[in-house]
Amino acid sequence: MSWDATVLADSDNVAVALRRLEAGERVTVHAPARALEVTVRETVPLFHKLAIADIAAGADIRKYGQRIGQSRDAIRAGSWVHVHNLASCRASAAHSA
Amino acid sequence: MTTPAGVLVYARPDGTVGVRNHLLILSITGLTGPTARRIARAVPGARVVATPYGSGLLGDDEAVQMRSLVALGRHPNVGATLVIGASPPKVVEVAEAIGASGRPVERLILDECDHDAITLTERGIRIAARLLRELSRQRRVPAGLDSMFLALECGRSDPSSGLVSNPLVGKVVDAVLAAGGTAVLGETIEWLGAEHLLAARAQDPRVAEHIRAAVERRERMAIAAGLDLTGNNPGPTNVAAGLSTIEEKSLGAITKGGSATIRGVVGIAEAPAGPGLWLMDAPAYAPESVTGLVAAGAQLALFTTGVGNSFVSGLAPTIKISANPATSARLREQLDFDASDVLERRATLDDAAARLLALVRDVASGTLTWGEVLDEGEEVVSRMGPAL
Repeated sequence: MSWDATVLADSDNVAVALRRLEAGERVTVHAPARALEVTVRETVPLFHKLAIADIAAGADIRKYGQRIGQSRDAIRAGSWVHVHNLASCRASAAHSA
Repeated sequence: MTTPAGVLVYARPDGTVGVRNHLLILSITGLTGPTARRIARAVPGARVVATPYGSGLLGDDEAVQMRSLVALGRHPNVGATLVIGASPPKVVEVAEAIGASGRPVERLILDECDHDAITLTERGIRIAARLLRELSRQRRVPAGLDSMFLALECGRSDPSSGLVSNPLVGKVVDAVLAAGGTAVLGETIEWLGAEHLLAARAQDPRVAEHIRAAVERRERMAIAAGLDLTGNNPGPTNVAAGLSTIEEKSLGAITKGGSATIRGVVGIAEAPAGPGLWLMDAPAYAPESVTGLVAAGAQLALFTTGVGNSFVSGLAPTIKISANPATSARLREQLDFDASDVLERRATLDDAAARLLALVRDVASGTLTWGEVLDEGEEVVSRMGPAL
């Protein structure tokens, strides 16, 4: 069985692209307890993150079953998730206040 | 993983075991570094550790320099040391502290050579030649994996590090620790966002609190400096490769430490009090991080990378590991272990862990790493504050 992206924990809302994913592609995503299909909305470079569900603005982004930051805006499933729409929750005066 | 066979090592008079038998030319003052390097060029095989600093260090800087230089001078992989420095009190102090380990140690002082660097060089070559010949009489002896002390490092990480290379190292660490060995994980800023997972594995509440406090201190340093960690750590190379936040990087990085209980947190270059898994509260940049771990007594480093990282320890063979297929293909004579077959699902993590553990035993027993072949090694002692 082959897949294009992998999810590290079932509670995650992003997957890691195991190859470059192109807009419009329907890709197979492997998760520990399930497999799902996602339509890619924009190019996702190799090893970058793909949203596998719709994510509300300000919601936690989860990888490894843990929070890796929060979304800056609403993110649609199939989008590329990176520094443009994902912000760290740590080491900033705003967050530590 | 099955219980592995042992390793062939050098038994030291102080009870430690070395995986190499280096002659070390240790320059403890900035004035004598060039002479240390001249001596090492004249006596091939000698290693150099040279600090660019000397007098005027204060507080923590003075303590860390002294602790690191002595620790490197009596490192398990060092069979004999020539200590060189500008003036007597410090050279004598360092040489005596190293000599207490039972190793052959000699000293040379620029003041006692009429401040003549050429005289210093000539005397140093004669001493180094004698020490190296004496060292060559030593033979390796069998030992168990319990004698292994691993330094854990990652550099120029990409998402393949957290996906494969770091968990792979974690499995090997678990096996070495199960045999009674030791491992240290450093780079405090890369616990940030994952500290709750580390604290949950602490031996007791005091250690858990130490872990949380160490992370908080680094986080405050970043905030006080007005830094946005994104673009700094993760750095530009990490970000281009797909790591977005320090939390994401940390959650991948800490998997190098496997699953064992964390016995405690040591300071930079500080030796842990016994076997097991330890954390080191120290800076993250590879040269000073690796030197801190090696000065703590690690004989061998496991160093994962995503896109490639050239740094290796000068004293501890450093096994470079990548699971990024492009990196592994590109850096064939610099990466020691290719884990891309796991990423491409042609091998399991357990298969790769068995192969990596076999390589650890091999390298510990004498097989050269690429970093050793290419003479890439260096030791860099941290500096923190202003000096006089």
